[in-house]
Amino acid sequence: MNKNRRFLIGGVIILAALSYMIYGGMQEAIVYFVTPTELKANERSSGDKFLRMGGMVVKGSMHKDLKNLTYRFDLTDGGTNFPVFFKGVPPDLFTEGKGAVVEGRIGPDGVFQATMIMAKHSEEYSPHTDGKPPSKSFVPGWEAVAK
Amino acid sequence: MISSLGHISVATAFIAAVCGIVCPILAARSCQERYLAYARYAIFGQFVLVTLAAGALIYGLVTADFSIKYVAFNTTRATPIYYRVTGLWGALEGSLLLWEWVLIIFSGIIAWIYRGRHQESLPWAIMIFSIVSAFFLGVLAFVSNPFEAVSPVPLDGRGLNPLLEDANMMTHPPLLYTGFVGLTVPYAFAMAALITGKLDEAWITSTRRWTIIAWFFLTAGNLVGAWWSYHVLGWGGYWAWDPVENAAFMPWLPATAFLHSIQVQERRRMLKVWNLSLIIIAFSLTIFGTFLTRSGILSSIHAFSAGPVGGFFLGFLAVILLGSFGLLAYRADLLKEQPELDSMVSRESAFLLNNIVLVSALFTIFLGTIFPLISEAVAGVQVSVGAPYFNSVTVPLFLFLVFLMGVGPMIAWRHASWDNLRRNFLWPALGALVFGLALFIWKVKEFLPLLGFTLLAFVVLTIVYDTALALRARKRIAGEGIVRGLITLARRNQRRYGGLIVHLGVVLIILGIAGSMTYSIEKEATLSLKQELPIGNYRIQFEGLKGMRQPTHFRVEGAFRVFHNGSDEGILNPALKFFPTQQSPIGRAVHQSSLTEDLYLILSGFSEIDRNQATLKALVRPLVVWMWIGGFVIAFGTLICIWPMKKTEASET
Repeated sequence: MNKNRRFLIGGVIILAALSYMIYGGMQEAIVYFVTPTELKANERSSGDKFLRMGGMVVKGSMHKDLKNLTYRFDLTDGGTNFPVFFKGVPPDLFTEGKGAVVEGRIGPDGVFQATMIMAKHSEEYSPHTDGKPPSKSFVPGWEAVAK
Repeated sequence: MISSLGHISVATAFIAAVCGIVCPILAARSCQERYLAYARYAIFGQFVLVTLAAGALIYGLVTADFSIKYVAFNTTRATPIYYRVTGLWGALEGSLLLWEWVLIIFSGIIAWIYRGRHQESLPWAIMIFSIVSAFFLGVLAFVSNPFEAVSPVPLDGRGLNPLLEDANMMTHPPLLYTGFVGLTVPYAFAMAALITGKLDEAWITSTRRWTIIAWFFLTAGNLVGAWWSYHVLGWGGYWAWDPVENAAFMPWLPATAFLHSIQVQERRRMLKVWNLSLIIIAFSLTIFGTFLTRSGILSSIHAFSAGPVGGFFLGFLAVILLGSFGLLAYRADLLKEQPELDSMVSRESAFLLNNIVLVSALFTIFLGTIFPLISEAVAGVQVSVGAPYFNSVTVPLFLFLVFLMGVGPMIAWRHASWDNLRRNFLWPALGALVFGLALFIWKVKEFLPLLGFTLLAFVVLTIVYDTALALRARKRIAGEGIVRGLITLARRNQRRYGGLIVHLGVVLIILGIAGSMTYSIEKEATLSLKQELPIGNYRIQFEGLKGMRQPTHFRVEGAFRVFHNGSDEGILNPALKFFPTQQSPIGRAVHQSSLTEDLYLILSGFSEIDRNQATLKALVRPLVVWMWIGGFVIAFGTLICIWPMKKTEASET
């Protein structure tokens, strides 16, 4: 009897501790996913929230500064564009006209300050070249490097 | 031609699998021996046919037979021969075939070596193997056929995902699958025990060695995956709590718990229901993992592509869970526990706590992995659960586990007296405290790392101390020296000393994780020629770019001279690989390892104007190398555990 109660109490304590850890961990690590349109609509209320925003990098919107490693571009979901600023090295697949997911929060100037960029690759890994030979300049800027 | 051979083999094997399911039932109904023989033949038949099918696909890949869609999608004329073979597990259909192949190899070996033994349980185990096998063969034959034809036949194939072109990628999936499939063995015998109602320890003892082997392959598969991630993916880390990594890791947790708790059952006849539940969960998680990976419901580096396969896996998972736990409930009256826990301070309770911690870790990781799915399905809100969640929840749990790893093997069964505690733990505990204090004074000021390193030292010291005492006894009794004594001890009690060595390996892995988690440095910069990036004790100087044509891709390589504490240590060449079939380059990171720290360089970009500028990301990651060393130590310990020896089935653990 006594033994059973002790096990019960032990179990409850363990469960409580675990739930607390899970709850605390979730609070810290859960990140909401929004589209530019959703973010624009709730710009005020999501002032300080850590978010993930997904969209397409608008063609012609990219301003790179390779010296300081800063990137300024717009993400769009077709309807709304949202300006994003990023400092660092973006992933390989990140380019204009492609899907990207940025993580960060809205800055005081209304620009999304991204701390991380994830490029979205298509479902299939290797896009087909339809048997065409690879174009010579598939390495960007290589001509210059190879002199 | 070869594709029809493969497809017919798969379809015929499916029929053999159905025979393997039906025959044991017929045997039980009619009490006729011959049906048991048929069941065994069904397994051997599947073995031959599936091997034929796998051989056909490998042949197709090697000879670049592009009339097979799978070959056309996963190889090119330029692909070297070894990557053509590994194309077998480069995509969904092939990897399912590999899984089935490994499964049927395991089943075949079991059916062969146990042919004269376990007369009552073996047929039912064969039935379970055949059910699993029939599921995979059904999927292969009717849903995702690896031998599907493509027309018109393309001139050249599309090629393997370039990330998979790596030597480690040749080993990671087979290792992991072997671990997954290996868990089917204890599961099959557990189910056989439930069906026959013979619920003593026989099913555990007869599959113990298989469980250890499966556990080892799971561990190795996860480690090689981490190594590949570190080595090839080029982000400087080895574990991202990616859903699919979790899927591979989750079965490891109940498998580890199972490996410990079966010792309690063997020794004290306790925890019967618990052990059965653990193995059911572990096995289900291997199927769940495949569902997560292959259904495309989670986007991940491992997710091949969406398809109807996911639904079938989910259905099969439901069947397994309902069937297994239903059977367990049906036999509940045979599973009454007899002895009770005598004391909270005993080896039983240490193992019980170990199980609670492992299952808690499993639960939290499971929750974090599927939370985005629940959130989207229930509330329609897209969220993601980041690495901080997994770290903050699992780190305390694993630290507690490390503590138990020190206590468990040394504490007495039933009830540990004060005398026992003092004898086994006083010196190791004092030693660990002194070590912790020294670390604190020297460098480590944060609480969690300090606690972690101290606990690791405690585990090592308990093992060393215990072994030293045993060696002293050997010296007194037989006059054996250290080496002789160690060999005698390991021979007399393989499982205990093998297990302790595995524990040491785990300690080393955790050391590597703790070191790299807490004391990494990361910097990135765009460098002009001869410009330097200082990081930690290193300076890295940019010396130029070079381009070269490779068989399958074009490679741009940076040259960076490394100075460590001022002395020149040569040049490292991180590279970017440009594949014609890929839109973006694949990074090739390089690192320089030492026992204390790794220097890890990633070329993240170069100037598109001239070759005088490159963007470099550099990381210093302490102690990482111990993770891989730990893996080898675990392999060695496992080998000692399972090494077949005459008459040394020691009862002591």
